[in-house]
Formats: sequence, structure tokens, C-alpha cells
Amino acid sequence: MKIVVAIKQVPERDAQVRIDAAGKWIEESDLQYALNESDAYALEEALQLKEKHSGEVIVVSAGPERVGTTIREALAKGADRAIHIGCDDLGARDALGVARLLAAAIKPENPDLVLTGLQSEDLGLGQTGVIVAELLGLPHATLILHVERTETGVTVKRELEEGWFQTIELPTPAVLTIQSGGNKLRYATLMGIKRAKTKEVRRLTAAELAVDAAPVVLLEQVTLPQKQKSTQILPGTAKEAAAALVEKLKFEVRVL
Amino acid sequence: MTLLSATLAEPQHFSLFEKLLFAGLAIASGCGFWRRFGKILDKILQSKKDPSFHLFPIGKRIGDFVWEVLFQAKVIRERPLPGLAHAFVFWAFCTFVLVTLNHCAVVLGLGFLNPAGQFARFYFYFAAAFALTCAAGILGLFVRRFLVRPKWLGEKLSYQSGVIALLIFVLMATYLASFFVSDATPAARALWWLHTLALLAFLPLIPHTKHLHLVLSPATVFLSRGTFSQIPPLSGDEDFGLVAGTDLTQLVSLQAWSCVECGRCTEHCPAANTGKLLNPKEIVLGLRGYLNEYGPSSEQPLLGKYNAQEAVFQCTTCGACEFQCPVGIEHVPILVGLRRGAVNTGLWEDQHGAKLFLALERGSNALGLSPTDRDKFIQRMELPLFDGTQEYCLWLGCMGGYDPKGREIVLAFTRVMSYLGTSYGVLRKEKCTGDPVRRLGNDLLFQQLAEANLEALAQNKVKKIVSICPHCVRTIQEDWKEYSTPPEIEHHSEFLARYAHRLPKQASPNPTSPETIVFHDPCYLGRYRNVYDEPRTVAALAGELVEAPRSRERSFCCGAGGGLAFLGEETGERVSHNRAQELAATGAQTIAAACPFCNTMFRDALAATGEGVPQLMDIAQLAARGLPQSGSS
Repeated sequence: MKIVVAIKQVPERDAQVRIDAAGKWIEESDLQYALNESDAYALEEALQLKEKHSGEVIVVSAGPERVGTTIREALAKGADRAIHIGCDDLGARDALGVARLLAAAIKPENPDLVLTGLQSEDLGLGQTGVIVAELLGLPHATLILHVERTETGVTVKRELEEGWFQTIELPTPAVLTIQSGGNKLRYATLMGIKRAKTKEVRRLTAAELAVDAAPVVLLEQVTLPQKQKSTQILPGTAKEAAAALVEKLKFEVRVL
Repeated sequence: MTLLSATLAEPQHFSLFEKLLFAGLAIASGCGFWRRFGKILDKILQSKKDPSFHLFPIGKRIGDFVWEVLFQAKVIRERPLPGLAHAFVFWAFCTFVLVTLNHCAVVLGLGFLNPAGQFARFYFYFAAAFALTCAAGILGLFVRRFLVRPKWLGEKLSYQSGVIALLIFVLMATYLASFFVSDATPAARALWWLHTLALLAFLPLIPHTKHLHLVLSPATVFLSRGTFSQIPPLSGDEDFGLVAGTDLTQLVSLQAWSCVECGRCTEHCPAANTGKLLNPKEIVLGLRGYLNEYGPSSEQPLLGKYNAQEAVFQCTTCGACEFQCPVGIEHVPILVGLRRGAVNTGLWEDQHGAKLFLALERGSNALGLSPTDRDKFIQRMELPLFDGTQEYCLWLGCMGGYDPKGREIVLAFTRVMSYLGTSYGVLRKEKCTGDPVRRLGNDLLFQQLAEANLEALAQNKVKKIVSICPHCVRTIQEDWKEYSTPPEIEHHSEFLARYAHRLPKQASPNPTSPETIVFHDPCYLGRYRNVYDEPRTVAALAGELVEAPRSRERSFCCGAGGGLAFLGEETGERVSHNRAQELAATGAQTIAAACPFCNTMFRDALAATGEGVPQLMDIAQLAARGLPQSGSS
């Protein structure tokens, strides 16, 4: 089974994000980066499929030089080789632009499966994987927790809302976007890192892939969420306060 | 005065037949010894060289050798009665080297100690004194092993030990009896031959039994790494710790064959005492078994037939085993080495372990919390940031920065520092020192954490660090050395003890019955850092000290070390409960701790015990309690 995993390097979850001077992107200096969480689960799913059925796992990632550390981490965890699409203007590209880069790099590989996280932790658009499927002309399924190989393709478990799951069958090749939490992630090992040194990382550029950079969606402004305090003290006896609380949870916050 | 005028009786003439018989038996005995010993020596020498081994500085090696081997100090100190009995046997053996050489030379007509001469007369009596104490000693040890039978010696009776004891007794008895006969009598000849036969039977038994330690352990003590629980650096791209036979170094192999199976390590092991699979003695004997079967060039995994992965990951790295070992075996580097082999190659699969590793791969602290929690704590408590002008960098650590109880210790300590007028600051960003991952054997993660922290400390121009956590102190001072020179660091007990004379001594509300305090020695402060008196000096400011049955060097672990605080449920009894009950049973009103991990373990253990338990405080909290209430900071 030949599996390509598209991964993204994103700011660490706990990073203190600041907006850059132009107000169009975040200030990238000083930030620590890590592998996007659902991509880590996509990689784990791919590695487990490979361990079960043998084959090859190829990671592909677009981004500047710093992405190299995340690619090495993926190789250390067990991916066989990598493709690094060098691109310094990732923030300026929309989901279609990034998907075009990825699809162009993936296409010549002719994989049986393309896995990626269901969304990125920084932009959270949740579209890239689906657009890649469209560009490659492949069927896709989203929010996948588990993948089982069958004679003709794969059976996948999708997460729906309110604790519901859906099991569907797809022919391969296919594109799947993976939800976090389906597997237990493996930790990086010293042996993995040492072995990763000798693994192939092919470098491509947007120009080589002949991909159009002009976005169809324009990013106008990036802002930090406004903090506001809306604490309300509910007066009265415990009984009255509880009744008022239920009222608010039902009709104002709508969580009940 | 017939005895004093008498001397050792030795037959004067030996027939050719006797000479040939002696030569034949001696050669057979020597061959019997070498057939086995040569193989063992070969395996030790064929093992991988210790890449970080340095013979120098040799002074300390000689000092340790004289103290531990020649004076038998460790053997005696840790088990006084059997230790002394053993020392008498050992000293007699040393004394008998000359006697025995002469004994064998006599048969060939080459005797160099003339029984009539003054030196020989003196020496034979000198040796006789040792022979007496040796005979008494070996009799005592025999009684202990076969009648008293302490459980640490193992379930199975070692009949080999009985045979050896008998031979030693015969050697001494025949020697002593020779003073009561005269040279030319058949009795003298019979005693000479009995002594010789015992000797020649003893020699080949040595390498086949645990008495191999006679030959090996002096070398083991002399060649040991010399610093307590020192984890050697990995060397080269293919070294992942102790994975297979090819990873066993000469020191490890030497140690495996030196074990005398006395069980002191097991007796003091928190895992072995609470019903876990781990038994440090069996780990060492497991390596010996592996070497015997597969040898040092085998690719067969070390964790398998002879040692279980489960046992290896039950070690709290408290170091009690290594501290007790009389033959210089370094258990902690072996156990951590086996863990390294499993973790660095990804063979160890543990839900909690993986969670800890992933938390530290992505985040900054072992508790898996957001670093903004630490930022908020610093802001809320208005802790000064370190800017290079303050004397100390106060290292918060994961517990001091994130754990509510750890934070209370930090705040108590800052109150004392402010009272003393000592300037300090905390780092804006801090990562875990890597202590739990270092002891669990994750070298990749440890290196990343150590290097990131070393860089941050260098950027902030930190010269001196003080920390409330003995694990942070140990890891920063010793383990980080592999990557760069860390700043000077001390534990808060050392700082507080230095200024104890300036801190208020607390009066008890009831002068006739002052508050009683029992201090628990944290492993990483006591055995690892040799700091025992300082925290007691601090605790004594607040009341009257009492001691737990197991204290100081023999302190019993709280169960948190070696990354085990993060590994979830234990099998068997909880180590923390065992220790907390012992501390509570002293009747002390207060348990004083000096480590935030011990603190949290005991807090849970005491809560499970229920009513009427002593209060639990860090020594910094005890010291801060006596400070004037307001405007002090």
C-alpha cells in the first residue's frame, strides 16, 4: 500500500500569537512550530496501515525552510521518504492554492491513499484535503477515525455529531481527512531520528510544479479575538438561581 | 608455655610420590579454576569497551578501594554483624597469602618462612589470630545462612555456600591444629595434607559459585564509574542503550559476574518491598545468565528470557540498591540503560509513558499544562523576572511552576529569600529539565530539553540557580553536563541551612511538648547529592526532630522517581503508602519533605490513610512559618 500523508507545520498550540505590522498575517519570528495535530493522527494511521499491510509512507509538506524539522520528525516516526515543497508565501495562499501545490506533488506518486488532517490548527479552514481530492479526481471522505483495508478499497469510520459514527466503503485510490484521537500517537525515538538522516527528502518549488499562485480568496485582515467579560451573578435563593441558570443555559447559551 | 614455645608444624621432608601427587593435584586444581574462569574473563574482555571510562583521577579509586575492599567499611556499616564476620574471613584470606605460598613451597623444598626464625614465628602467630576470628566468622555466617535464613538471601538454600564454608573452616582448623603437633609426626603430615586438599578443592569452586566475587569484586570496586548513579553518555550513531549483548560494556559484564547474591539491593528496593516484579539482584543475575548463554557478541535482545521489560520500568531510580552494593555494582545505570534500549528503539509501549513523552515533545512541562498557566502564576504572585542583576535564578521546575502545592513551596521559599534580602528572579520561559524522560531512557527528548534550557540560561546570563526540587538540581548539575556546562546550582535546603542562624527559631505554644517533626530524606537529595544535615537544620527551626526507622542513606523512596510519578497505577502495594505509614508511625506531628514530588506522593498517601495523620510541609514552609507575619517581604 502506497500512502501519501500531507502534513502542515503550524505554530505550537501554546504559542503567544501576535499580528504582524501589515495586519494580514501573524508575526512569525519568535514562534515555535510543531506538526499540526490531526496531521499527526493522519501520519499515525498511515504508519499503522503500513505496519499491517506493508508498503510505503511518503510525507509531503509545503512551506519555508523551517518545515524541514517537522518533515524530519515524520521521517523519524517511520515515514519512508518525504517531499518538501519550498514556498515562503504559504500565508498568502488560499486553500485552493495550497491544494494545487500538494496535488501537483502527489499526482506523479500515484498513491493508493492520500491522508491528511481534517483541518489545520492555525487557519482551521478544513478544505485543503477535500480540494486535493477534487484536483486529483479521487473520491474522498472526511472526519475519519479509523481505516480498514478491504479487497477493493477501504472501509472507514467517520465521526458525526453527538456521538454518532458512520461506516462507509470507498474504492481506492481515495483521499481521507483524519480526525484527531482515533489512534494513540507514537513518541519520537533516538533510533528513528538517526535513521531519518539517511531518508530521502525531495525538494520541489512552486515554479517547478507550475502552479498558479494567484489566490481566489483574498485575506483582508487578521485580528486577535476580542476578550470580553460577561459574568452574570444570579441573585436569589439556590433554587431560584438554579432555575434562572437553566433558563439561560437553554435559551441564551443554548447548550441544554 | 608449650603453646608459645611451639610454632607451626610443617613436615620437613616429602617423598617423591608426595611431591608428584601435590604437583598433579595442584595442576588439576589450577586447570579446574582456569577452565571456568578463563571463559568468564574472555567474555568480560570481549564485551564492548566503555567509551566514557577514565582511569584518572586515580586517587579516588585508590581511596575507595582501601575503604571499601581493604577496610570492608561498606560491608560492615550496612550490616554490622554479618559484615564483621565477613571482614574477619576477608582479612584472614589477606593474611594467609604469605602463609599459603610458603605452605605450597615447602613441599618442593622451597619454604621461605623458617618456623624457627623470628619473622616467621611472629607471622605465624599473627595469622593464627586471624585464623581464629575467621573460623568464628565463617561459623557465624554458616549459622546465618542455614539456620537464621534471612529472606534476602533467597528462597533456595545455597549448598555450594555450605561446602565453601566447610572448606574455609577446615583450612583454618588445620592451620591452628598445626601449632599443637611437632614437625616430624604423622599428625603434622596429615594436617599438612588436609590443609592442602581443602585449598586445592577450594580453588576450582571459586569461578563456579558466587565466590567468584573473591577474584572479581576488588577489580569491580576499583574500576566502578565512581560517581553515584552516573548514566554514561551514548557513543556513536548505533548506540541506543542496552539493547542486545553487543551493548554490554566491560564494566557491566564485570559487574554481572561480581554479584555475590547477598540481597542487600533487594532488601532496600522500594519495588521489591511492595510486591512488584522488579528485584535488582535478579536484574544483575539476569545479565549474568544472558552472558553465560549468549555471550557479549549476541544480537539476542537483553529484555526477554532473562530480564522482563515490566520489571525494568518499575524502578524508581532511588539508588538504594547501588548505595548498598558491597561489590561496586552500579544498578541504576544498568536499569536506565535497559530502559534506554527499549525507549530509544520504540519497543516500550506504555500509554502513560507515551503521553508524558508527547507532552514534552510538544509542550514545556511534564504535567502537560499550558505554559500560560506558569505565566499567569508569575504575574499573579508578582515574582520578579530574572534580568541578570539578581543573585539567584529561582528555577521553578514543573512542580513549582504548575502544581498548586509546588507553588506554595516556591512562595514560602521566596518569602524567606525576601526576608533575608537575597535577590532572585525567575525565567520568563522554562522547560522541564528532562529528569523523568532521562530516567525513563528517552535520550532524544532529554537532549532536546537540556539543550533548549541550557541555551535559555546562557541567553539570560544565569550564574547561580536555586531550586526547590532535588530532581531538577541533580539533572541540571550532572545530567546536562553531557551537552554544556550548566550554571552553579543548589537545592533550597542548602541555601536555607546556610542562613538558618538568621531565621527565627520557632517557639512552641507548649514549651513542655514541642512540635515533633520527622524529616523524609528525598533520594535525589540524600543518596544522589549527599545532603542530609542541611534540611534537618532547617526543619529543626520549627520543632524537635525525630527520625524514621529508615532514614538518611537508608531512606525509603516515596515512589515518584525515575519518571514513575507519571506512569499511573502500580502493581502491589503503593510505595508512597508504605513510606507514609512509616513516617506517620513515628508519632511526629509534622512530616517535613524537601522535594515537591515526595510532597505530592505523601499528600495522596496520607489522604488515603484517613484521620489523625501528621501534617505535611516542605522545609521552606516550615522556615517561612516563623517569619514575622506582615511587611516581611
